[in-house]
Amino acid sequence: MLAFVTVGTFEFDLLVQTVLSDAVLLALRNRGYSSLVVQCGNSAFEFASAVAGGQTVTLERHDVRVELWKSKGALDAEYRHADLVIGHAGAGTILEVLRLRKPLIVVPNPTLLHNHQLELARALGPYLATSSIDKLADTVAAFDPAALREFPPFDGSRFRALVDDEMGF
Amino acid sequence: MFLLALALAILVIYRIFCTLPNRRRPVLHANTKSLAVFLGSGGHTSEALTLISALDFGRYSPRTYVISEGDSFSAQKARDLESLKQTGAGPAQYTLLTIPRARRVHQSLLATPPTALVSLLSCIYHITLAHIPFPFRNRPPFADILILNGPGTCFMLCIAVYINKFLGLSAPRVIYIESFARVESLSLSGKLLYPFVDRFIVQWEQLQEKVPGAEFRGLLV
Repeated sequence: MLAFVTVGTFEFDLLVQTVLSDAVLLALRNRGYSSLVVQCGNSAFEFASAVAGGQTVTLERHDVRVELWKSKGALDAEYRHADLVIGHAGAGTILEVLRLRKPLIVVPNPTLLHNHQLELARALGPYLATSSIDKLADTVAAFDPAALREFPPFDGSRFRALVDDEMGF
Repeated sequence: MFLLALALAILVIYRIFCTLPNRRRPVLHANTKSLAVFLGSGGHTSEALTLISALDFGRYSPRTYVISEGDSFSAQKARDLESLKQTGAGPAQYTLLTIPRARRVHQSLLATPPTALVSLLSCIYHITLAHIPFPFRNRPPFADILILNGPGTCFMLCIAVYINKFLGLSAPRVIYIESFARVESLSLSGKLLYPFVDRFIVQWEQLQEKVPGAEFRGLLV
């Protein structure tokens, strides 16, 4: 199985460093994830300079095949290939991953000043798992996708009704 | 002289009164309504286009996508949506309108007023001046409805709409939709636009409880 990690457009040093830690890699391995792909953005970590140059870094640790790269325009294809997505708690990422019906663990970034990400992650409690950086290995070990509620599909009729009503249709 | 000043004052007060947001729905005169939407880059653009994708493009035509200078992401996303919705019957009725940013990312607060002014003047040009009807010249209004969801630059569009209202020119109805990301508190653009828009929509019930007059229709994106 494949786990995919995304930090979003910018960087999330702690998330990239933590998913490459022994504890998280072992937790992933024990849950049957033999591959890990990490979209690193501009995060600072041990392979940052190679990744920043546009290289894809591959390595093997604790029997997990790890692939590291900076970013791609759209992550749609990576989400689809993944059996688990671990991401920053950005609204766009959350919405996209949940709509693709992929199991999602979000890690709100503790270094962001106004942390609305945590509020959003909490409000979406039944649909995803939320973890702090230091509990990530435990969260992965205990994560049960079957226990999550299915996120409602996009329903355009609400906004359509609102605008049609406003315009007199 | 006094009477003239009094008449002027009454006129100004009357015009200001006319600009107040209201819930009165316009009567449908035409089969189509023109629509404008501000694409504020990144997550704002994604949410705005998801909202717009829900609409019947046969009803909302032509469409104007207002984008910030240099925002090629939003321009491309708008074109993508249009080609996705293209039915094949004639060319798609839409335009991309570029305006200068009110405030660039990382720009210092002191440098904001001049750039905001340039942005405002551009909005006034596109919404007010370019649509003043001259005799023998048929210029359609900017839009019947304007959809906003942040960030700050969209406030400039809102000010231009108020100038139209004040002058008695046709002005679009303005709907603001707060981001799905805002669960417990309004964003800065939400707070700025709250007193001015005709409809103020939030996407979380717990936020509606904190904002009098806000509407909640469930998750919209």
